[in-house]
Amino acid sequence: MLKTKILIVDDELIMRESLGGWLERDGHEIKKASGGEEALEIMKKTRFDVLLVDIKMEGMSGLELLKIVKERDPDVDVVMITAFGSISTSIEAMKNGAFDYLLKPFDPNELGVLIEKIVENKAQALENLYLREQHKEITRFESMIGQSKAIRTIFEMIQDIAPMESTVLLTGETGTGKGLAAKAIHTHSARNQGPFMSINCGAIPEHLMESELFGYQKGAFTDAKENKKGRLELAHGGTLFLDEIGEIGMRMQIDLLRVLEDRVFYRVGGTQPIQSDFRVIAATNRNIDEAIKNGSFREDLFYRLNVISLEIPPLRERKDDVPLLAEQFLFRFTQETNKAIEKIHRDTIDEMMMYEWPGNVRELENAIERAVVVCKGQIIMPEDLPIFKHKTTPGPGIGSLKDMEKNHILNILAENDWNIALCARILQIDRSTLYKKIKAYDLKKED
Amino acid sequence: MTQHDNLKILITPIGSIPGHQLEAIAAAVKDHFTIKTAIENSLQDIEFAFDTERSQYHSTSILEALQELVPDNTLKVIALVEVDLFIPILTHVYGEAQLGGKACIVSTHRLKENLKSVSIEPDLTQRLIKEAFHELGHTFGLLHCKDPTCIMHYCRSIRDVDRKSKNFCRYCDIMLQDALKKELKT
Repeated sequence: MLKTKILIVDDELIMRESLGGWLERDGHEIKKASGGEEALEIMKKTRFDVLLVDIKMEGMSGLELLKIVKERDPDVDVVMITAFGSISTSIEAMKNGAFDYLLKPFDPNELGVLIEKIVENKAQALENLYLREQHKEITRFESMIGQSKAIRTIFEMIQDIAPMESTVLLTGETGTGKGLAAKAIHTHSARNQGPFMSINCGAIPEHLMESELFGYQKGAFTDAKENKKGRLELAHGGTLFLDEIGEIGMRMQIDLLRVLEDRVFYRVGGTQPIQSDFRVIAATNRNIDEAIKNGSFREDLFYRLNVISLEIPPLRERKDDVPLLAEQFLFRFTQETNKAIEKIHRDTIDEMMMYEWPGNVRELENAIERAVVVCKGQIIMPEDLPIFKHKTTPGPGIGSLKDMEKNHILNILAENDWNIALCARILQIDRSTLYKKIKAYDLKKED
Repeated sequence: MTQHDNLKILITPIGSIPGHQLEAIAAAVKDHFTIKTAIENSLQDIEFAFDTERSQYHSTSILEALQELVPDNTLKVIALVEVDLFIPILTHVYGEAQLGGKACIVSTHRLKENLKSVSIEPDLTQRLIKEAFHELGHTFGLLHCKDPTCIMHYCRSIRDVDRKSKNFCRYCDIMLQDALKKELKT
């Protein structure tokens, strides 16, 4: 489970330390900043769920920081910390989007309730996102393709390991196609008539994870109106794919280890042991060795999962596959959109071959999807791909991340005639987030 | 888990903590953590940690001083005090621990709340044992647990302390055993 990331901003060291220590014991991930400027620097590298900000600080005030933070990321919850006598400023902060304020020193109960409320709100949002993503995932499966030496080696290895019953750990950067490799292993195994059950451990909120994996009995909790089978049970006779395994919390690691050891588990609220016969394939883009060292991943679980390991290469190491993959994606998206686009121009292919594709196959897929949407003719030209737009010389004042974002949103809006739904899809954000950003950056449609 | 002969968990009173409470804690800790316990005086003067404005004692400062005095062969040290404790950001704390560290502290001051005079001693001792287990759990790297019956559950009120059991939930127990194995190995 992803921990709640909290940034404490206070110019008094003792306050930062005592609040940080308390929240750490509560299981949150804490970073500390001694002022507004340092907080903004830290926020360039890390996205936080909650900011706890002292109102009165040397240099940039808490209120000024709040305004900048809310402008950049309206979704982050900011709690103002105030001393007695600054309540009017706190009320002003609430008007500027602060989630709440706390009068220091605060009662442990008060802080606990507030953090719990924020965490619950975040979990609800994550749950909604998970349910939406789950729907999308179903439509995104297709076979692995490629002709490069690197991918052919992977195909051979898949052929070799597929018939075995051993657990497989797939590693590789985000977007390299670990999910497709897992599916390919299943397809080439003796279990291919059985189900392929996939679960994204990084996307699923912890409170849903248990019931998703193990299922539940009617009456186990308020919403359990009837019995529900979990993925472990549904994977019987087939393969269970645990994607982003590096993201699961300690408790789930303990539960999974037990299931992998004896293949017996209980539904939530159930008393009858359930046996299920499935093969496990896990995947991660994290450095698990490091996670074991810092104690966030159990070594015994790692050895259970890492019986056979397979590293999927990044797209930059199999560039020969770019044209073939691009053609495959073009075919799919033209079918889906009913657009009469015939091919990708040679110049576009050349540009694509020179690009490093940090987001790997998924970035290429998204790029082609967008190109199909914006392409006006029958051939995809270099300017139809967003990656090459980034290479244009920045205009005056374009240097900061904020300016880049503002400019990028404006470009996408202009190119797509301010069609909010389409632009939100291209930018891969919610429509409501896009509206907030339009408002925050004061973007206006030019006539 | 086998008893480890060389190491002990030290229970150290600061001020006048009744002997039977210390003995009850020592026995419960020995039983649950399967490590030898000893009751010994260590740090005595904690006036340096007194905050005149708040009329409370800064627990973090006491822990730092306590850590300096930890004798050899001591795996963990738990101090028991009668005075009211605080950390700067909070109005009060029942206790504090160095997360994954050596020292922790528990105060009886607020644990005496809402006790009926007839049952004050056994109830206070039970509360003390629970808080001692909880803070010791932190020194083994355990975090707060969502299970309200688990000893690692964070108690917002004295009612929560009474409600939770003296046991670690299944998950916290496994993590405690892991930490114990690791610490005893090094």
